[in-house]
Amino acid sequence: MIVSHLSLKNWKNFRTVDVPLRSRVFLAGPNASGKSNFLDVFRFLRDIVKRGGGLQQAVAERGGLSQIRCLAARNEPAVEIEAGLAEASGQPPLWRYAVGIQQSRGEASSRLVYERIWNHDGQILDRPDDSDAKDPMRLTQTHLEQISANETFRELARFFDSVSYLHLVPQLVRNPRAFAGPGIPGDPFGQSFLERVASTPPKTRRSRLSKIEKALVSAVPQLKELTDTKDEAGAPHLEAIYEHWRPRGAKQREDQFSDGTLRLIALLWSLLESQSLLLLEEPELSLNAAIIRILPAIIHRLQGKHKRQVLISTHSAELLSDQGIGGEEIFILTPTEEGTKVEVASTIQEVRDLLEIGFTPAEAVIPRTTPQLGAQRWLFDA
Amino acid sequence: MPETYINLVFEDMLSETVLRRLLRCSRVTYGVGFAHNAGGSGWIKKRINDFNRAAQGMPYLVLTDLDTCECAPVLIRQWLDTPKHPNLLFRVAVREVEAWLLGCREAFAAFLGISESRIPTNVDGIADPKAFVVDLARRSRKRDVRVDIVPEEGSMAQVGPAYNERLRLFMEMSWDPAVAKRRSPSLRRAIRALDLFEPALPSSRNRSNC
Repeated sequence: MIVSHLSLKNWKNFRTVDVPLRSRVFLAGPNASGKSNFLDVFRFLRDIVKRGGGLQQAVAERGGLSQIRCLAARNEPAVEIEAGLAEASGQPPLWRYAVGIQQSRGEASSRLVYERIWNHDGQILDRPDDSDAKDPMRLTQTHLEQISANETFRELARFFDSVSYLHLVPQLVRNPRAFAGPGIPGDPFGQSFLERVASTPPKTRRSRLSKIEKALVSAVPQLKELTDTKDEAGAPHLEAIYEHWRPRGAKQREDQFSDGTLRLIALLWSLLESQSLLLLEEPELSLNAAIIRILPAIIHRLQGKHKRQVLISTHSAELLSDQGIGGEEIFILTPTEEGTKVEVASTIQEVRDLLEIGFTPAEAVIPRTTPQLGAQRWLFDA
Repeated sequence: MPETYINLVFEDMLSETVLRRLLRCSRVTYGVGFAHNAGGSGWIKKRINDFNRAAQGMPYLVLTDLDTCECAPVLIRQWLDTPKHPNLLFRVAVREVEAWLLGCREAFAAFLGISESRIPTNVDGIADPKAFVVDLARRSRKRDVRVDIVPEEGSMAQVGPAYNERLRLFMEMSWDPAVAKRRSPSLRRAIRALDLFEPALPSSRNRSNC
Protein backbone atom coordinates (compact mmCIF):
# COMPACT_ATOMS: atom_id res chain seq x y z
CA MET A 1 0.00 0.00 0.00
CA ILE A 2 1.08 3.57 -0.54
CA VAL A 3 -0.10 6.95 0.66
CA SER A 4 -1.74 8.14 -2.54
CA HIS A 5 -3.08 11.42 -1.30
CA LEU A 6 -2.26 13.89 1.46
CA SER A 7 -4.03 17.00 2.70
CA LEU A 8 -2.72 19.14 5.50
CA LYS A 9 -3.96 22.20 7.30
CA ASN A 10 -1.79 24.24 9.65
CA TRP A 11 0.89 21.54 9.88
CA LYS A 12 4.22 23.20 10.70
CA ASN A 13 5.39 25.19 7.63
CA PHE A 14 2.22 24.46 5.71
CA ARG A 15 -1.12 26.24 5.98
CA THR A 16 -2.69 24.08 3.33
CA VAL A 17 -1.38 21.18 1.30
CA ASP A 18 -3.32 18.98 -1.07
CA VAL A 19 -1.24 16.64 -3.20
CA PRO A 20 -1.43 13.25 -4.89
CA LEU A 21 1.58 11.03 -4.15
CA ARG A 22 3.26 8.44 -6.37
CA SER A 23 5.26 5.48 -5.17
CA ARG A 24 8.40 7.61 -5.45
CA VAL A 25 8.33 11.27 -4.42
CA PHE A 26 11.20 13.76 -4.42
CA LEU A 27 10.87 16.85 -2.24
CA ALA A 28 12.86 19.82 -3.50
CA GLY A 29 13.01 23.21 -1.84
CA PRO A 30 15.39 25.74 -0.29
CA ASN A 31 16.74 25.38 3.24
CA ALA A 32 14.06 25.62 5.93
CA SER A 33 11.23 25.34 3.43
CA GLY A 34 9.80 22.37 5.32
CA LYS A 35 11.03 19.24 3.56
CA SER A 36 11.71 17.45 6.85
CA ASN A 37 8.46 18.75 8.31
CA PHE A 38 6.59 17.32 5.35
CA LEU A 39 8.15 13.92 6.06
CA ASP A 40 7.35 14.39 9.74
CA VAL A 41 3.61 14.04 9.06
CA PHE A 42 4.17 10.36 8.37
CA ARG A 43 6.37 9.95 11.42
CA PHE A 44 3.65 11.66 13.46
CA LEU A 45 1.05 9.16 12.27
CA ARG A 46 3.48 6.37 13.13
CA ASP A 47 4.06 7.87 16.58
CA ILE A 48 0.30 7.81 17.19
CA VAL A 49 -0.02 4.08 16.49
CA LYS A 50 3.33 2.70 17.64
CA ARG A 51 3.65 0.69 20.83
CA GLY A 52 4.08 3.09 23.74
CA GLY A 53 2.97 5.93 21.50
CA GLY A 54 -0.40 7.61 21.16
CA LEU A 55 -1.72 11.01 20.21
CA GLN A 56 -0.59 12.75 23.41
CA GLN A 57 2.90 11.27 23.18
CA ALA A 58 3.22 12.16 19.48
CA VAL A 59 2.23 15.77 20.18
CA ALA A 60 4.43 16.01 23.30
CA GLU A 61 7.49 14.69 21.45
CA ARG A 62 7.10 17.63 19.11
CA GLY A 63 6.92 20.17 21.90
CA GLY A 64 3.12 20.51 22.08
CA LEU A 65 0.55 21.50 19.51
CA SER A 66 1.69 25.13 19.54
CA GLN A 67 4.99 23.92 18.05
CA ILE A 68 3.22 21.87 15.41
CA ARG A 69 0.72 24.51 14.36
CA CYS A 70 1.74 26.61 11.37
CA LEU A 71 3.18 29.99 12.33
CA ALA A 72 1.25 31.59 9.50
CA ALA A 73 -2.03 30.36 11.01
CA ARG A 74 -4.14 32.78 13.01
CA ASN A 75 -6.54 32.25 15.93
CA GLU A 76 -5.17 28.84 16.92
CA PRO A 77 -7.04 26.75 14.39
CA ALA A 78 -6.98 22.94 14.44
CA VAL A 79 -4.11 21.03 12.90
CA GLU A 80 -5.61 18.75 10.28
CA ILE A 81 -4.19 15.73 8.48
CA GLU A 82 -5.89 13.58 5.89
CA ALA A 83 -4.18 10.66 4.21
CA GLY A 84 -5.58 8.45 1.47
CA LEU A 85 -4.11 4.97 1.02
CA ALA A 86 -4.21 2.94 -2.20
CA GLU A 87 -2.67 -0.27 -3.48
CA ALA A 88 -0.52 1.65 -5.97
CA SER A 89 -0.13 5.01 -7.73
CA GLY A 90 -3.24 6.09 -9.60
CA GLN A 91 -5.49 3.45 -8.02
CA PRO A 92 -8.69 4.25 -6.12
CA PRO A 93 -8.22 4.73 -2.37
CA LEU A 94 -8.68 1.74 -0.08
CA TRP A 95 -8.53 3.79 3.09
CA ARG A 96 -8.88 7.39 4.06
CA TYR A 97 -7.91 8.66 7.51
CA ALA A 98 -8.68 12.20 8.64
CA VAL A 99 -7.87 13.78 11.95
CA GLY A 100 -8.23 17.28 13.36
CA ILE A 101 -6.35 18.17 16.56
CA GLN A 102 -6.78 21.18 18.78
CA GLN A 103 -5.13 22.50 21.90
CA SER A 104 -5.97 25.92 23.24
CA ARG A 105 -3.72 27.97 25.46
CA GLY A 106 -3.96 26.70 29.02
CA GLU A 107 -5.21 23.23 28.04
CA ALA A 108 -3.00 20.48 29.43
CA SER A 109 -3.53 18.05 26.60
CA SER A 110 -4.50 18.21 22.97
CA ARG A 111 -7.85 16.85 21.87
CA LEU A 112 -9.48 15.58 18.76
CA VAL A 113 -11.74 17.93 16.89
CA TYR A 114 -12.66 15.00 14.70
CA GLU A 115 -11.42 11.59 13.64
CA ARG A 116 -12.86 10.02 10.51
CA ILE A 117 -12.12 6.84 8.62
CA TRP A 118 -13.38 5.57 5.30
CA ASN A 119 -12.75 2.26 3.60
CA HIS A 120 -13.79 1.34 0.05
CA ASP A 121 -17.40 0.92 1.23
CA GLY A 122 -17.74 4.32 2.83
CA GLN A 123 -17.30 5.99 6.18
CA ILE A 124 -16.76 3.62 9.09
CA LEU A 125 -15.75 6.05 11.83
CA ASP A 126 -17.08 9.49 12.61
CA ARG A 127 -16.00 11.08 15.83
CA PRO A 128 -16.94 12.82 18.04
CA ASP A 129 -19.77 10.35 18.56
CA ASP A 130 -22.29 9.90 21.39
CA SER A 131 -19.77 8.28 23.71
CA ASP A 132 -17.36 11.17 23.17
CA ALA A 133 -20.15 13.60 24.02
CA LYS A 134 -20.71 11.82 27.33
CA ASP A 135 -17.03 11.59 28.19
CA PRO A 136 -14.93 14.32 26.52
CA MET A 137 -11.74 12.73 27.96
CA ARG A 138 -12.10 10.14 25.21
CA LEU A 139 -11.14 12.82 22.72
CA THR A 140 -7.58 12.85 24.06
CA GLN A 141 -6.99 9.53 22.29
CA THR A 142 -7.51 8.43 18.73
CA HIS A 143 -9.30 5.20 17.98
CA LEU A 144 -6.46 4.44 15.62
CA GLU A 145 -4.08 3.97 18.54
CA GLN A 146 -6.42 1.74 20.57
CA ILE A 147 -6.33 -1.98 19.93
CA SER A 148 -9.76 -2.32 21.53
CA ALA A 149 -11.23 0.21 19.09
CA ASN A 150 -9.31 -0.28 15.85
CA GLU A 151 -10.26 -3.83 14.97
CA THR A 152 -12.09 -2.88 11.79
CA PHE A 153 -9.26 -0.69 10.56
CA ARG A 154 -6.20 -2.38 12.01
CA GLU A 155 -4.68 -2.65 8.55
CA LEU A 156 -4.54 1.14 8.50
CA ALA A 157 -2.88 1.27 11.94
CA ARG A 158 -0.35 -1.37 10.87
CA PHE A 159 0.51 0.61 7.77
CA PHE A 160 1.30 3.74 9.74
CA ASP A 161 3.18 1.71 12.34
CA SER A 162 5.56 0.32 9.73
CA VAL A 163 6.65 3.70 8.35
CA SER A 164 10.42 4.04 8.59
CA TYR A 165 12.68 7.06 8.43
CA LEU A 166 16.38 7.27 7.67
CA HIS A 167 18.75 10.14 8.20
CA LEU A 168 21.87 8.21 9.08
CA VAL A 169 24.59 10.01 11.02
CA PRO A 170 27.80 8.01 10.43
CA GLN A 171 29.36 9.21 13.69
CA LEU A 172 26.47 7.65 15.63
CA VAL A 173 26.90 4.32 13.88
CA ARG A 174 30.62 4.26 14.57
CA ASN A 175 30.38 5.35 18.19
CA PRO A 176 26.93 4.37 19.46
CA ARG A 177 28.17 4.37 23.05
CA ALA A 178 29.77 7.77 22.88
CA PHE A 179 26.31 9.30 22.81
CA ALA A 180 24.83 8.21 26.09
CA GLY A 181 21.17 8.51 26.90
CA PRO A 182 18.00 6.65 26.14
CA GLY A 183 18.40 6.96 22.37
CA ILE A 184 15.94 8.68 20.09
CA PRO A 185 12.60 6.94 19.54
CA GLY A 186 12.52 5.09 16.24
CA ASP A 187 16.29 5.42 15.87
CA PRO A 188 16.12 7.86 12.96
CA PHE A 189 19.86 8.57 12.96
CA GLY A 190 21.11 4.99 12.97
CA GLN A 191 22.49 4.78 16.51
CA SER A 192 21.29 1.18 16.78
CA PHE A 193 21.69 0.42 13.09
CA LEU A 194 24.25 -2.32 13.80
CA GLU A 195 21.93 -3.96 16.32
CA ARG A 196 19.15 -3.89 13.77
CA VAL A 197 21.38 -5.69 11.31
CA ALA A 198 22.48 -8.21 13.95
CA SER A 199 18.92 -8.98 15.08
CA THR A 200 17.80 -9.87 11.55
CA PRO A 201 17.44 -13.62 10.96
CA PRO A 202 20.79 -14.98 9.63
CA LYS A 203 19.55 -16.05 6.20
CA THR A 204 17.85 -12.73 5.45
CA ARG A 205 20.82 -10.85 6.85
CA ARG A 206 23.33 -12.67 4.66
CA SER A 207 21.17 -12.24 1.60
CA ARG A 208 20.83 -8.49 2.18
CA LEU A 209 24.50 -7.97 2.95
CA SER A 210 25.47 -9.86 -0.17
CA LYS A 211 23.15 -7.67 -2.25
CA ILE A 212 24.63 -4.58 -0.64
CA GLU A 213 28.15 -5.84 -1.31
CA LYS A 214 27.31 -6.21 -4.99
CA ALA A 215 25.92 -2.70 -5.09
CA LEU A 216 29.03 -1.40 -3.36
CA VAL A 217 31.33 -2.89 -5.99
CA SER A 218 30.88 0.06 -8.30
CA ALA A 219 30.87 2.71 -5.58
CA VAL A 220 33.68 1.44 -3.37
CA PRO A 221 35.57 -1.12 -5.49
CA GLN A 222 38.24 -1.71 -2.82
CA LEU A 223 35.64 -3.10 -0.41
CA LYS A 224 34.96 -6.87 -0.54
CA GLU A 225 33.19 -9.54 1.52
CA LEU A 226 30.84 -7.43 3.60
CA THR A 227 29.74 -9.45 6.63
CA ASP A 228 28.55 -8.87 10.15
CA THR A 229 30.41 -10.02 13.21
CA LYS A 230 30.51 -9.61 16.98
CA ASP A 231 33.37 -8.49 19.17
CA GLU A 232 34.47 -10.10 22.47
CA ALA A 233 31.92 -8.03 24.36
CA GLY A 234 29.16 -9.23 22.05
CA ALA A 235 28.66 -5.88 20.33
CA PRO A 236 27.64 -6.19 16.67
CA HIS A 237 29.86 -4.89 13.86
CA LEU A 238 30.06 -4.79 10.11
CA GLU A 239 33.25 -6.04 8.58
CA ALA A 240 34.74 -6.03 5.11
CA ILE A 241 38.03 -6.73 3.39
CA TYR A 242 39.67 -3.56 2.27
CA GLU A 243 42.00 -4.36 -0.62
CA HIS A 244 45.28 -2.56 -0.93
CA TRP A 245 48.81 -3.36 -2.04
CA ARG A 246 49.16 -6.32 0.36
CA PRO A 247 48.04 -9.53 -1.34
CA ARG A 248 45.26 -10.39 1.14
CA GLY A 249 43.96 -6.96 1.99
CA ALA A 250 43.01 -5.95 5.51
CA LYS A 251 39.86 -6.46 7.52
CA GLN A 252 38.08 -3.26 8.40
CA ARG A 253 35.19 -2.60 10.71
CA GLU A 254 32.51 0.04 10.35
CA ASP A 255 34.48 2.46 12.49
CA GLN A 256 37.00 2.60 9.66
CA PHE A 257 34.47 2.82 6.83
CA SER A 258 34.13 6.23 5.22
CA ASP A 259 31.01 8.35 5.85
CA GLY A 260 29.87 7.72 2.30
CA THR A 261 30.32 3.95 2.56
CA LEU A 262 28.37 3.79 5.82
CA ARG A 263 25.56 5.95 4.52
CA LEU A 264 25.30 3.91 1.35
CA ILE A 265 25.20 0.64 3.31
CA ALA A 266 22.47 1.97 5.61
CA LEU A 267 20.52 3.38 2.66
CA LEU A 268 20.58 0.06 0.82
CA TRP A 269 19.75 -1.86 3.99
CA SER A 270 16.72 0.37 4.64
CA LEU A 271 15.52 -0.11 1.09
CA LEU A 272 15.79 -3.89 1.47
CA GLU A 273 14.44 -3.96 5.02
CA SER A 274 10.69 -3.74 4.64
CA GLN A 275 7.86 -3.24 2.22
CA SER A 276 6.28 -0.16 3.76
CA LEU A 277 6.67 3.57 3.41
CA LEU A 278 10.29 4.71 3.70
CA LEU A 279 11.26 8.34 4.33
CA LEU A 280 14.77 9.24 3.19
CA GLU A 281 16.36 12.46 4.32
CA GLU A 282 18.92 13.79 1.81
CA PRO A 283 20.30 10.42 0.67
CA GLU A 284 22.92 12.26 -1.40
CA LEU A 285 24.98 13.32 1.64
CA SER A 286 28.66 12.24 1.55
CA LEU A 287 28.23 10.49 -1.79
CA ASN A 288 30.14 11.10 -4.99
CA ALA A 289 28.16 12.84 -7.74
CA ALA A 290 28.36 9.80 -10.03
CA ILE A 291 26.77 7.59 -7.36
CA ILE A 292 24.09 10.19 -6.62
CA ARG A 293 23.07 10.21 -10.28
CA ILE A 294 22.22 6.51 -10.18
CA LEU A 295 20.43 6.64 -6.80
CA PRO A 296 16.96 7.17 -8.32
CA ALA A 297 17.41 4.02 -10.41
CA ILE A 298 18.70 2.08 -7.37
CA ILE A 299 15.70 3.23 -5.34
CA HIS A 300 13.37 2.26 -8.16
CA ARG A 301 14.88 -1.24 -8.47
CA LEU A 302 14.83 -1.86 -4.73
CA GLN A 303 11.25 -0.64 -4.33
CA GLY A 304 10.43 -4.18 -5.33
CA LYS A 305 7.56 -5.74 -7.19
CA HIS A 306 4.96 -4.18 -4.94
CA LYS A 307 6.39 -0.74 -5.47
CA ARG A 308 7.01 0.08 -1.89
CA GLN A 309 6.71 3.85 -1.41
CA VAL A 310 9.79 6.01 -0.87
CA LEU A 311 9.70 9.74 -0.07
CA ILE A 312 13.01 11.51 -0.55
CA SER A 313 14.04 15.00 0.51
CA THR A 314 16.92 16.41 -1.51
CA HIS A 315 19.03 19.43 -2.38
CA SER A 316 20.89 17.59 -5.09
CA ALA A 317 20.81 18.59 -8.75
CA GLU A 318 22.61 15.33 -9.53
CA LEU A 319 19.86 13.26 -7.94
CA LEU A 320 17.21 15.04 -10.00
CA SER A 321 19.20 14.89 -13.22
CA ASP A 322 17.83 11.40 -13.95
CA GLN A 323 15.43 11.72 -16.87
CA GLY A 324 13.55 8.70 -15.55
CA ILE A 325 12.08 10.95 -12.86
CA GLY A 326 8.69 12.30 -13.91
CA GLY A 327 7.45 15.79 -13.11
CA GLU A 328 4.59 14.15 -11.19
CA GLU A 329 7.17 12.61 -8.82
CA ILE A 330 8.68 15.93 -7.75
CA PHE A 331 7.18 18.28 -5.19
CA ILE A 332 8.47 21.83 -5.19
CA LEU A 333 8.32 23.51 -1.78
CA THR A 334 8.26 27.29 -1.94
CA PRO A 335 8.22 29.38 1.24
CA THR A 336 5.75 32.28 1.19
CA GLU A 337 4.51 34.65 3.87
CA GLU A 338 1.44 32.47 4.19
CA GLY A 339 3.43 29.31 4.83
CA THR A 340 5.17 26.98 2.43
CA LYS A 341 3.43 26.10 -0.81
CA VAL A 342 3.73 22.51 -2.09
CA GLU A 343 3.30 22.03 -5.83
CA VAL A 344 3.62 18.93 -7.94
CA ALA A 345 6.23 19.97 -10.54
CA SER A 346 4.20 18.62 -13.46
CA THR A 347 1.30 20.94 -12.62
CA ILE A 348 3.47 24.00 -13.31
CA GLN A 349 3.13 24.85 -16.98
CA GLU A 350 6.66 26.19 -17.39
CA VAL A 351 8.20 23.10 -15.82
CA ARG A 352 6.11 20.94 -18.16
CA ASP A 353 7.30 22.99 -21.13
CA LEU A 354 10.94 22.56 -20.17
CA LEU A 355 10.56 18.82 -19.50
CA GLU A 356 8.81 18.34 -22.83
CA ILE A 357 11.59 20.16 -24.65
CA GLY A 358 14.05 17.70 -23.11
CA PHE A 359 15.42 19.46 -20.06
CA THR A 360 16.29 17.18 -17.15
CA PRO A 361 14.08 17.39 -14.05
CA ALA A 362 16.98 19.09 -12.27
CA GLU A 363 17.30 21.74 -14.98
CA ALA A 364 13.58 22.42 -14.88
CA VAL A 365 13.14 22.34 -11.10
CA ILE A 366 16.33 23.31 -9.25
CA PRO A 367 16.29 26.98 -10.39
CA ARG A 368 12.92 27.29 -8.65
CA THR A 369 14.36 26.06 -5.38
CA THR A 370 17.55 28.11 -5.41
CA PRO A 371 17.58 31.02 -2.98
CA GLN A 372 18.54 34.43 -4.30
CA LEU A 373 21.65 35.40 -2.39
CA GLY A 374 22.58 39.04 -2.20
CA ALA A 375 26.19 40.12 -1.74
CA GLN A 376 27.50 38.94 1.63
CA ARG A 377 28.32 42.32 3.13
CA TRP A 378 29.09 40.91 6.55
CA LEU A 379 32.13 39.15 5.07
CA PHE A 380 33.76 42.49 4.40
CA ASP A 381 32.77 44.37 7.55
CA ALA A 382 36.07 45.01 9.26
CA MET B 1 2.76 44.38 -9.62
CA PRO B 2 5.38 43.64 -12.26
CA GLU B 3 4.29 44.24 -15.85
CA THR B 4 6.42 41.46 -17.24
CA TYR B 5 7.72 38.22 -15.76
CA ILE B 6 10.97 36.94 -17.17
CA ASN B 7 13.20 33.91 -16.50
CA LEU B 8 16.92 34.44 -16.13
CA VAL B 9 19.75 32.26 -17.41
CA PHE B 10 23.34 33.26 -16.65
CA GLU B 11 26.86 31.91 -16.23
CA ASP B 12 27.49 32.67 -12.56
CA MET B 13 26.34 34.65 -9.55
CA LEU B 14 28.19 37.74 -10.72
CA SER B 15 26.17 37.79 -13.94
CA GLU B 16 23.01 37.13 -11.95
CA THR B 17 23.65 40.18 -9.79
CA VAL B 18 24.18 42.27 -12.95
CA LEU B 19 20.96 41.01 -14.54
CA ARG B 20 18.83 41.60 -11.47
CA ARG B 21 20.24 45.10 -11.18
CA LEU B 22 19.52 45.85 -14.84
CA LEU B 23 15.95 44.63 -14.41
CA ARG B 24 15.44 46.83 -11.36
CA CYS B 25 16.71 49.91 -13.24
CA SER B 26 14.70 49.22 -16.39
CA ARG B 27 11.80 51.34 -17.65
CA VAL B 28 9.74 48.14 -17.70
CA THR B 29 8.75 46.77 -14.29
CA TYR B 30 10.09 43.25 -14.34
CA GLY B 31 9.38 40.29 -12.08
CA VAL B 32 11.78 37.36 -12.10
CA GLY B 33 10.29 33.94 -12.76
CA PHE B 34 13.13 31.55 -12.15
CA ALA B 35 16.85 32.16 -12.17
CA HIS B 36 19.07 29.50 -13.66
CA ASN B 37 22.74 29.51 -12.76
CA ALA B 38 24.31 27.57 -15.65
CA GLY B 39 27.76 27.30 -14.09
CA GLY B 40 29.60 28.57 -17.17
CA SER B 41 28.87 29.18 -20.82
CA GLY B 42 29.05 25.52 -21.95
CA TRP B 43 25.63 24.60 -20.62
CA ILE B 44 24.04 27.79 -21.98
CA LYS B 45 25.42 26.99 -25.42
CA LYS B 46 24.09 23.44 -25.16
CA ARG B 47 20.62 24.57 -24.09
CA ILE B 48 20.16 27.89 -25.89
CA ASN B 49 18.05 26.38 -28.67
CA ASP B 50 15.79 24.76 -26.09
CA PHE B 51 15.38 28.09 -24.35
CA ASN B 52 14.56 29.63 -27.72
CA ARG B 53 11.71 27.12 -27.99
CA ALA B 54 10.63 27.56 -24.38
CA ALA B 55 10.49 31.33 -25.02
CA GLN B 56 7.23 30.76 -26.90
CA GLY B 57 5.59 30.27 -23.51
CA MET B 58 7.48 32.78 -21.40
CA PRO B 59 10.20 35.41 -21.85
CA TYR B 60 13.80 34.48 -21.15
CA LEU B 61 16.74 36.76 -20.54
CA VAL B 62 20.01 34.96 -21.24
CA LEU B 63 23.38 36.55 -20.55
CA THR B 64 26.64 35.05 -21.65
CA ASP B 65 30.19 36.34 -22.09
CA LEU B 66 31.58 36.86 -25.58
CA ASP B 67 34.98 35.65 -24.36
CA THR B 68 37.19 34.99 -27.40
CA CYS B 69 34.45 34.85 -30.02
CA GLU B 70 34.73 37.40 -32.81
CA CYS B 71 31.64 39.48 -32.02
CA ALA B 72 28.19 39.11 -30.49
CA PRO B 73 26.20 38.65 -33.74
CA VAL B 74 28.59 35.89 -34.81
CA LEU B 75 28.21 34.12 -31.45
CA ILE B 76 24.40 34.32 -31.64
CA ARG B 77 24.41 33.04 -35.22
CA GLN B 78 26.70 30.18 -34.29
CA TRP B 79 24.69 29.16 -31.23
CA LEU B 80 21.11 29.45 -32.53
CA ASP B 81 19.87 26.88 -35.08
CA THR B 82 16.61 28.70 -35.74
CA PRO B 83 15.67 32.39 -35.79
CA LYS B 84 15.58 33.97 -32.35
CA HIS B 85 12.11 34.08 -30.81
CA PRO B 86 11.17 37.65 -29.83
CA ASN B 87 10.69 36.49 -26.22
CA LEU B 88 14.29 35.40 -26.00
CA LEU B 89 16.47 38.29 -24.91
CA PHE B 90 19.89 36.90 -25.69
CA ARG B 91 22.53 39.36 -24.46
CA VAL B 92 26.27 39.01 -24.82
CA ALA B 93 28.70 40.91 -22.57
CA VAL B 94 31.78 42.07 -24.49
CA ARG B 95 34.00 40.38 -23.66
CA GLU B 96 33.04 39.50 -20.11
CA VAL B 97 30.52 40.86 -17.64
CA GLU B 98 33.41 42.41 -15.65
CA ALA B 99 33.74 44.96 -18.47
CA TRP B 100 30.26 46.23 -17.58
CA LEU B 101 31.43 46.79 -14.03
CA LEU B 102 34.58 48.56 -15.20
CA GLY B 103 32.36 50.93 -17.19
CA CYS B 104 31.65 52.73 -13.91
CA ARG B 105 35.24 53.94 -14.01
CA GLU B 106 35.28 56.37 -11.15
CA ALA B 107 33.39 54.16 -8.68
CA PHE B 108 35.29 51.03 -9.67
CA ALA B 109 38.65 52.77 -9.28
CA ALA B 110 37.64 54.01 -5.83
CA PHE B 111 36.44 50.54 -4.89
CA LEU B 112 39.72 48.94 -5.97
CA GLY B 113 41.89 51.72 -4.58
CA ILE B 114 43.61 52.55 -7.88
CA SER B 115 43.87 55.52 -10.20
CA GLU B 116 40.89 56.01 -12.55
CA SER B 117 43.24 56.59 -15.47
CA ARG B 118 44.18 52.92 -15.44
CA ILE B 119 40.72 51.98 -16.72
CA PRO B 120 40.27 52.53 -20.48
CA THR B 121 37.36 54.61 -21.73
CA ASN B 122 36.02 51.87 -23.99
CA VAL B 123 35.75 48.87 -21.68
CA ASP B 124 34.36 46.61 -24.42
CA GLY B 125 37.82 46.80 -25.98
CA ILE B 126 39.51 45.02 -23.04
CA ALA B 127 40.64 41.59 -24.28
CA ASP B 128 40.34 39.70 -20.99
CA PRO B 129 38.37 41.77 -18.46
CA LYS B 130 38.68 39.22 -15.63
CA ALA B 131 42.48 39.16 -15.84
CA PHE B 132 42.38 42.94 -16.23
CA VAL B 133 40.45 43.36 -12.95
CA VAL B 134 42.90 41.04 -11.18
CA ASP B 135 45.83 43.03 -12.56
CA LEU B 136 44.26 46.28 -11.41
CA ALA B 137 43.70 44.84 -7.94
CA ARG B 138 47.37 43.88 -7.77
CA ARG B 139 48.13 47.60 -7.75
CA SER B 140 45.55 48.38 -5.12
CA ARG B 141 46.46 50.51 -2.13
CA LYS B 142 44.08 48.37 -0.04
CA ARG B 143 45.52 45.14 1.32
CA ASP B 144 42.06 43.54 1.76
CA VAL B 145 41.23 44.10 -1.87
CA ARG B 146 44.51 42.53 -2.96
CA VAL B 147 44.15 39.37 -0.86
CA ASP B 148 40.50 38.89 -1.88
CA ILE B 149 40.79 39.54 -5.61
CA VAL B 150 44.34 38.49 -6.53
CA PRO B 151 45.22 34.78 -6.38
CA GLU B 152 48.02 33.84 -4.03
CA GLU B 153 51.42 33.54 -5.58
CA GLY B 154 51.93 30.09 -7.08
CA SER B 155 48.18 29.41 -7.17
CA MET B 156 46.56 27.88 -10.24
CA ALA B 157 43.40 29.89 -9.56
CA GLN B 158 42.67 32.67 -12.05
CA VAL B 159 41.08 34.92 -9.47
CA GLY B 160 41.44 35.44 -5.74
CA PRO B 161 39.44 33.56 -3.09
CA ALA B 162 36.72 36.21 -2.60
CA TYR B 163 36.78 37.69 -6.12
CA ASN B 164 33.10 37.17 -6.93
CA GLU B 165 31.83 38.17 -3.51
CA ARG B 166 33.84 41.42 -3.57
CA LEU B 167 32.63 42.32 -7.04
CA ARG B 168 29.05 41.53 -6.09
CA LEU B 169 29.41 43.83 -3.12
CA PHE B 170 30.69 46.61 -5.39
CA MET B 171 27.75 46.09 -7.67
CA GLU B 172 25.18 46.34 -4.92
CA MET B 173 26.78 49.35 -3.30
CA SER B 174 28.25 51.52 -6.04
CA TRP B 175 27.57 50.26 -9.56
CA ASP B 176 25.42 52.54 -11.70
CA PRO B 177 24.37 51.02 -15.03
CA ALA B 178 23.44 54.45 -16.39
CA VAL B 179 27.05 55.57 -15.96
CA ALA B 180 28.60 52.28 -17.03
CA LYS B 181 26.70 52.12 -20.31
CA ARG B 182 28.51 55.24 -21.56
CA ARG B 183 31.74 53.20 -21.67
CA SER B 184 30.28 49.92 -22.89
CA PRO B 185 28.26 49.63 -26.12
CA SER B 186 27.30 46.03 -25.29
CA LEU B 187 25.81 47.13 -21.95
CA ARG B 188 24.05 50.05 -23.66
CA ARG B 189 22.40 47.67 -26.11
CA ALA B 190 21.37 45.29 -23.33
CA ILE B 191 19.74 48.10 -21.32
CA ARG B 192 17.97 49.36 -24.43
CA ALA B 193 16.63 45.89 -25.22
CA LEU B 194 15.23 45.58 -21.69
CA ASP B 195 13.68 49.08 -21.85
CA LEU B 196 11.91 48.36 -25.13
CA PHE B 197 10.90 44.77 -24.50
CA GLU B 198 7.28 43.77 -24.89
CA PRO B 199 6.55 40.05 -24.57
CA ALA B 200 4.98 38.36 -27.58
CA LEU B 201 1.92 36.42 -26.47
CA PRO B 202 1.85 32.68 -27.10
CA SER B 203 0.26 31.94 -30.46
CA SER B 204 -2.63 30.01 -28.88
CA ARG B 205 -3.65 33.07 -26.87
CA ASN B 206 -3.50 35.28 -29.97
CA ARG B 207 -6.13 33.13 -31.57
CA SER B 208 -8.72 34.25 -29.03
CA ASN B 209 -9.05 37.46 -31.09
CA CYS B 210 -10.72 35.53 -33.91
